[in-house]
Amino acid sequence: MRGKGIHTNDPHIQALARIVGDEKSILYKKEDLLAYDCDGFTVHRHLPKAVVFPKNTEEVAAIVKYCHEHNLPFLARGAGTGLSGGAIPLNGEVIISLVRMKRLVSVDLENRRAVVEPGFVNLKLTNSISDRGYYYAPDPSSQYCCTIGGNVAENAGGAHCLKYGVTTNHILGLEVVLPNGEIVEIGENGIPDPPGYDLLGLLTGSEGTLGIVTKITVRILKNPEAKQTVLAYFDRVADASQAVSDIISAGMVPAALEMMDQTAIEAVEAAAFPVGHPKDIEALLLIEVDGISSGIAEQIEAILHICRQRNVREVKVAQNEQERARWWANRKTGFGAMGAISPDYLVQDGVIPRSKLPEVLQQIQQISQKYGLRIANIFHAGDGNLHPLVLFDAEKPGETEKALAAGSECLQACAAVGGSITGEHGVGIEKKEEMRFIFNDEEIIAQTNIRDVFNPKNLLNAGKLFPTPGRCVEVKKG
Amino acid sequence: MIVTELVAELKAILPETQVETEKQALHPLGNSGKVAVYPQSEEEVSKILQYANTNGKKIAIIGGGTKRGFGGLVECADILLSLANYSGIVEHAVADMVVTVKSGTPFQQLQDYLAEYNQKVALDPAWPQYATVGGVIAANESGPKRLGYGSARDSVIGLRTVYPDGTVIRSGGKVVKNVAGYDMNKLFIGSMGTLGILSEVTIKLRPLPKYESLVLLSFQEGNIEKIRSFAVQFLDSMMEPVCLELLNPSLSERLVGRRAYTLAIGFEDVESAVHYQEEFVKRIQPSDTAITILAQQEAQSFWSSFYTICPNGAAAHYDESANIEAAVKIGVVNLDVMKVIRESELLQDVCHVNIEAHGGLGHGLCQVYIRGAAESVIAAIERLQAMAAQLRGYAIVKHLPFALRRNINVWGEKPSYFFLLEGIKTKIDPNRILNDQRFVGGDLT
Repeated sequence: MRGKGIHTNDPHIQALARIVGDEKSILYKKEDLLAYDCDGFTVHRHLPKAVVFPKNTEEVAAIVKYCHEHNLPFLARGAGTGLSGGAIPLNGEVIISLVRMKRLVSVDLENRRAVVEPGFVNLKLTNSISDRGYYYAPDPSSQYCCTIGGNVAENAGGAHCLKYGVTTNHILGLEVVLPNGEIVEIGENGIPDPPGYDLLGLLTGSEGTLGIVTKITVRILKNPEAKQTVLAYFDRVADASQAVSDIISAGMVPAALEMMDQTAIEAVEAAAFPVGHPKDIEALLLIEVDGISSGIAEQIEAILHICRQRNVREVKVAQNEQERARWWANRKTGFGAMGAISPDYLVQDGVIPRSKLPEVLQQIQQISQKYGLRIANIFHAGDGNLHPLVLFDAEKPGETEKALAAGSECLQACAAVGGSITGEHGVGIEKKEEMRFIFNDEEIIAQTNIRDVFNPKNLLNAGKLFPTPGRCVEVKKG
Repeated sequence: MIVTELVAELKAILPETQVETEKQALHPLGNSGKVAVYPQSEEEVSKILQYANTNGKKIAIIGGGTKRGFGGLVECADILLSLANYSGIVEHAVADMVVTVKSGTPFQQLQDYLAEYNQKVALDPAWPQYATVGGVIAANESGPKRLGYGSARDSVIGLRTVYPDGTVIRSGGKVVKNVAGYDMNKLFIGSMGTLGILSEVTIKLRPLPKYESLVLLSFQEGNIEKIRSFAVQFLDSMMEPVCLELLNPSLSERLVGRRAYTLAIGFEDVESAVHYQEEFVKRIQPSDTAITILAQQEAQSFWSSFYTICPNGAAAHYDESANIEAAVKIGVVNLDVMKVIRESELLQDVCHVNIEAHGGLGHGLCQVYIRGAAESVIAAIERLQAMAAQLRGYAIVKHLPFALRRNINVWGEKPSYFFLLEGIKTKIDPNRILNDQRFVGGDLT
């Protein structure tokens, strides 16, 4: 029997259509599939076999079970904002889109938790509880459209994770469909430390290779009583870096501590949310302090003092919420702003020990010169998470490859000072070979061994996260 | 194989002075070994594991011994591997606020060292003078300040772990934000030494607070509803307590000198912000409650005593006739902590035991310490387990003499996803040489 309204002889498509119920819940024609051939990482593209839109956990489980039994590769997808290619169907996967599972299931303010479906949009959670003075802390720049399910898969971060932590620090429970279709619940009722190995911690950030999350219990926080935001312009990037270090060393934990360099400033000022930053400064810092109101003034004073000691050209405190919001909109749309000064850009995501900031920024400058490509830097300076944006023109032959190589070299520079190749965007396809910058063969096998426990047939999101085995590369021993 | 042969074989791979026949092979808390070894380097740990893995020997791991009564159905393994002589700071990146330390380092020693730099590890485990960093991490120990600072999983950013085959596996790194590959740190934190031996632990640090205080608010009538409405109002405010811990009257009597349910509300911030929050508590202070505020050193010395209230596996002495001690960790939905603490108080009369209990209204974890005759203690544990199940939470026994652990399921019921836990164990330690039968399910591992 064919699924209702399904015009194909492919028995798998028909079977999947029967599971999700109707033709509106499955895409299988080439023209419909094109929109799903990549995510926020656009360098690689591949068509999926089909895209299905389950409405509930049982449908997800049935789809997974079917794929598992018929050896069809499959993967889960949220809003498709991932920046490392984690949702690209490299193997012609059946894409299980979770965008229709977008309910806010429950909110329990007294116990500071909420339950959401994976397709629920990050910012909507905060918007749903802000009238009562609560919010959900992880705030990736794409929070207005990215889903919490995707945030769990990638262990998403954001500007405010310096003080409040990344996604994994806010996940209390998960309902998961395992790659064989079995449904398990980990961290029931959101109670911490469930006896046994920390599977919540393992699943969060596993980039959709261990299971498909179908329900998420998150921690919610009370809004801080007060917050103040400082904008500081520096003539020299070294002074800005040193100011970052001084603020942290002074025993402060700002809610956010962001930096942009000159090229980045040029872009954000040319884009949709300019705030009038001077174009001839080398770096700006955006610093936010929050907490008990009576303690804020003291901290702001200390920050202003540090900036002045580090030769700041101009430093100001946001006078009202509108001004603060403008500064943040300018920062949060920073990646997209590159479009205003370059046809294409590639964003990288290295992490370094904070103290190595001046050294690594200089190396990135050298990489930029070597490849003849401009590199803008927008980053979470407080936690050493750099986002070098390599500007290029894909129309020019060979330039995409050059941009990829320059990006990879930036990561190598991060790894060389004891850092990491990704702080919040994930490995995906993009950085899987770069995994060798920080892990040796045995350490990679230790990880794939864990994958084999959950995903023994490797049908779920195969070809991501780990380098191609057996490639002969010099291995950095710890 | 007789013990002398085992000693001889181990002496072939370690300096002789680091191998000895274990004098307390039959320790009342179990988790012992016939031969004790004291590695002083990661290489030595690796060699011992390789030897055991190839020769089918079982290893029990010990640090300071404070958690010796925590899980474990083996009284005496072949080898007792002590990390007591594997301690010290490997690297302290002061400006980056990151420290790497050998796992056998006593927790307090690390904190004292860091205090000179106005930094700290944001964990507050029991018995910090004795407990080692490795033990705290392997057992996922946390205290009341978990509310403000999170638990081990929020602080640990990197590990070097020696696998059962002797391979050293690095996970995480030295940076505070890292999503490269699976978050393998999480796997080892709280794994009770059943997957590998932690060699080096890298932890992100916090600044020492500029000022701290502890508000002790005692509810004279023991009216749980009154505590609840206060807690709900307080939690709904924008105050930022680092702990909101409810003490049962027995514990409050010992620590506060008042036999009443007492809330311990901690503040750590700049001084003005701390005082502002103290004032807020006074403003909403319910009638018929007593309040004491401990500032700075007073608060610190309260906490020093607080961290010694749970049974210490390293210090306990046993004689057959005496009362026994047990510790139970109960996880429930945050505000249900009140029910657990009240039930614990009432159990004293029902079961003829002494119980000291505390739990965090902001994080849902309770610790219940029971002292009494063996059968009474077991009866109390069973009632606590039943109550936790009713509240859809869990209760695990963190301390109990070995003989009694065999009569009670210290980890509670196996979770529905037990096969995943078992699968992970089997992948990493197929010969089950490390802390065999120490963890969930008992047979896991």
